[in-house]
Amino acid sequence: MVSEVSVITERPWNVIVWNDPVTPMTVVVVVFKRIFGYSNNKCTHLMLTVHHEGRAIVWSGQRERAESYCVKLQVAGLQATVEQET
Amino acid sequence: MPAKLFMRRRDGRIEVRLNDAGRGVIREVFAHVLAAERDPTHEWHLSLNAPINPSSDDDDPLSSLARQNEIASNAELSVMTLNEQYLNDAEAWAWLSTLQVALRSTAVVNGILSDEKLESCAPELLDDIRTMQQFLFELAACF
Repeated sequence: MVSEVSVITERPWNVIVWNDPVTPMTVVVVVFKRIFGYSNNKCTHLMLTVHHEGRAIVWSGQRERAESYCVKLQVAGLQATVEQET
Repeated sequence: MPAKLFMRRRDGRIEVRLNDAGRGVIREVFAHVLAAERDPTHEWHLSLNAPINPSSDDDDPLSSLARQNEIASNAELSVMTLNEQYLNDAEAWAWLSTLQVALRSTAVVNGILSDEKLESCAPELLDDIRTMQQFLFELAACF
């Protein structure tokens, strides 16, 4: 019962992509599409969120998967980090 | 209308239409990434090893190692295919990733963290950045 409660209440980990002044917008869209398999519309929406708000949460969930996605984004040259949801 | 530098063909391959000067620029960029991944004193090395979880003192070593291996692997594949006229999907993705890593590293080591900084940087540096952006813009259009 205790472990069941702890699983339910665990806060998810977010993968954050940060804005930078040099990366072409089309590259951001293509990287999101390739890594997450999101639709064009969703990738464009996320890219615009990064551009206008300085950052966007592009994935949420288990810590290990979040770190794995973060690494893939960094390997593709984007500025990405993980953080636990507050 | 200027000719495209990269073109996705009907058979799925990507044609590289760079002239010798363009390939020379790409060669230099790829060599820099490869050197930076191998040499901890290289000016780009730190930017290739950005924190994964900034709230933690240390990142998971396995995640850091995976990143190091993948960046190096992409750079090596890019160098090996530098003179090819046609790239398959994986090779073209390695080119795109390695170019983007180089672009970001160039910005980071030169403190270009805002649009204003970018516009006020030295003309030669701005020219390098615009060239990489143009390559990336055209290559990304193939995906």
